[in-house]
Amino acid sequence: MAIHERSLVDPERILRKERLVIDGIDVSGDWNLIILPRVIEDYDLSFLDEVLEQPEGKTILQCYQCSYCTASCPVHNYWDERYNPRHFIHLARLGLIDELQKRADVMWRCVSCHKCTHRCPKGVLVEEVLKAILRVMAKRGIIEEYPSKKFDKFFLESVYEYGRIEDGELLFGWIEKQGYQVVKDPVLKKPIPFMGGVPEWLKQLAIKPIKNMNIGFLILNAKHMLFHPRTKNWNRFKQVLRKVMEEEGVFAH
Amino acid sequence: MAKSVLVVGGGPAGLAAARTLGKLGIPTILVEKEQKLGGRPILEDYHTLIPRKMTPQQVIGPFIEEVQNNPNVDVKLGVELEACEGEAPNFKVKLSNGEEHEVGAIVVATGFQHFDAKRKGELGYGIYPDVITNLELEQMFSREGKLYRPSNGQLPKRVAFVFCVGSRDRQLGVTNVHCCRYGCALSGLQGTEIREKYPDVDVFCYYMDVRTYGTWEYPFYWAPQEKYGVRYVRGRIAEITYNPQDGRLRVKHEDTIVQRPAEVPMDLVVLVLGMEPSEGTKKVAKILGLAQDPDSQFLVPAEDSGSNIISNKPGVFIAGACKGPIDIESSLAEGEAAGAEAATFIGAKVSA
Ligand SMILES: Cc1cc2nc3c(=O)[nH]c(=O)nc-3n(C[C@H](O)[C@H](O)[C@H](O)COP(=O)(O)OP(=O)(O)OC[C@H]3O[C@@H](n4cnc5c(N)ncnc54)[C@H](O)[C@@H]3O)c2cc1C
Ligand code: SF4
Ligand code: SF4
Ligand code: SF4
Repeated sequence: MAIHERSLVDPERILRKERLVIDGIDVSGDWNLIILPRVIEDYDLSFLDEVLEQPEGKTILQCYQCSYCTASCPVHNYWDERYNPRHFIHLARLGLIDELQKRADVMWRCVSCHKCTHRCPKGVLVEEVLKAILRVMAKRGIIEEYPSKKFDKFFLESVYEYGRIEDGELLFGWIEKQGYQVVKDPVLKKPIPFMGGVPEWLKQLAIKPIKNMNIGFLILNAKHMLFHPRTKNWNRFKQVLRKVMEEEGVFAH
Repeated sequence: MAKSVLVVGGGPAGLAAARTLGKLGIPTILVEKEQKLGGRPILEDYHTLIPRKMTPQQVIGPFIEEVQNNPNVDVKLGVELEACEGEAPNFKVKLSNGEEHEVGAIVVATGFQHFDAKRKGELGYGIYPDVITNLELEQMFSREGKLYRPSNGQLPKRVAFVFCVGSRDRQLGVTNVHCCRYGCALSGLQGTEIREKYPDVDVFCYYMDVRTYGTWEYPFYWAPQEKYGVRYVRGRIAEITYNPQDGRLRVKHEDTIVQRPAEVPMDLVVLVLGMEPSEGTKKVAKILGLAQDPDSQFLVPAEDSGSNIISNKPGVFIAGACKGPIDIESSLAEGEAAGAEAATFIGAKVSA
């Protein structure tokens, strides 16, 4: 049986049997399809309370859903229409948790350009509000920790340690940090990005640059990964850096 | 030429007209069909008025007092206009108490009536006690001073306002296509009052669009939403049902932003009533031969006049909600203008 307004029906709500026999009567093709109801049965209003407890969440009540933000948002416009700051605000305010969860895969995509915040006619600090929503989602375990935050942290650590970044180091080390089941090569003891339990997109991400690199650069990278060269006089600079970072409360090492 | 003026209707518009005429020293007859002056806000005990958050007594009370104390104004309560003969400026009017008078001009200020919510059967008014009208909510506040669910006398955890009941609705025929103009703003105020007094009660407004026009935008939309946490959900409530398991109502609608149907529990549902021309308005229109909107039946101003208060009939002026939804301040202002126009019409001049 055809499903009308198919775009509104989530795949997990469709129950379909190729052959269905009820009381000895073969009803396949006619009554073999059930769509579970998609009715919103209640709001979870405590979600908004938790957003309002976050310092960045304070302005969420100011939104009147005009969508000036979304219309300005590069992520929405050029990457994925499912990333929609205005919509996230509505869902958070009514506590429509399953709807938020459905979008968890795109919700970290904000590039913090702040166009939304600069343009919002109601003075909503949109970018901040979204971070507050994400924090509450993370606290409730309905979204994973900000994946790019993990990367940022690793990036910072390797700069801090060696005074420079090494492309290979960054990529392989980060993959390791993700906790993926990796296969390590026997020489460098580094994970091989295109083997083991690494997700497909990551394999692609690793293979593409390696394929395109010239061999000299590859060897250089391998050498650096092995010997960890540091920037000259880095140890002295590191101490200054540590002081500044501590003063600014950036990180405690 | 007759030198007196008849004002029909003792609501905000009629009172303002009579007050202006009285102050100008013009003999004025004010007929009001009820036993009390003040119109709907006083007769029906509205609680707090938009936009200045004053009581009806504070806003309309001084007008009543001035009219009653002005020797030029003859107030006749429990009296209606029955018939009218002749043309301006020599109208012979017959009143329901048998009196006959000759007047030079007439101000019509016969107002509106509330939409009968029972006509929207799917909303369950008159079936479920916890479905009430916004007028009844006003009276709950003004007469009993507290918020409660009629079914059990307890404080509701959630209150829903259903906008546009009896307005903007072709299902009711051509008569109720207009917007009520006050409903969104009054809901913002009522929602604010609830949240101020009972911060734990969650308030929802179900809207198609929020029409808090002009300067009402901030106090009756932004402030309720931003400062008092009144929640706005876009989607017209299409049905209200009762769940015997938990004794709560369900408001059935589509959340048009999420594009999903919803049947959410509520404890008290408030229907935001539309405005219709009062029976008195329709009756007076027939008696005086006044032009009416063919659909809504509200009075309409003369086609060749840019003024809102000049009727199609020379010597007859129209003011307030008999012409369509309008707020009290504007009704008062129109009454004042109609009074002044009537005065100049009968040739009153300011003496040096
Ligand atoms: C629930 C509700 C809440 C509202 N709250 C607000 C608010 O907070 N602020 C605001 O600005 N506006 C509010 N309004 C609108 C307000 O009620 C009107 O603007 C105002 O009442 C209009 O005044 P009026 O004098 O034109 O008509 P009315 O108030 O209707 O007065 C008409 C008078 O004429 C009398 N009459 C009718 N026919 C005859 C006849 N044939 N002969 C003699 N007398 C007759 C009636 O008995 C009545 O006293 C509200 C409306 C509703 C429905
Ligand atoms: S621009 Fe501001 S008010 Fe408009 S939808 Fe975005 S956050 Fe809400
Ligand atoms: S800050 Fe984020 S949400 Fe706002 S416009 Fe930029 S990408 Fe979009
Ligand atoms: S004022 Fe608001 S509630 Fe009343 S009809 Fe207009 S939109 Fe609907």
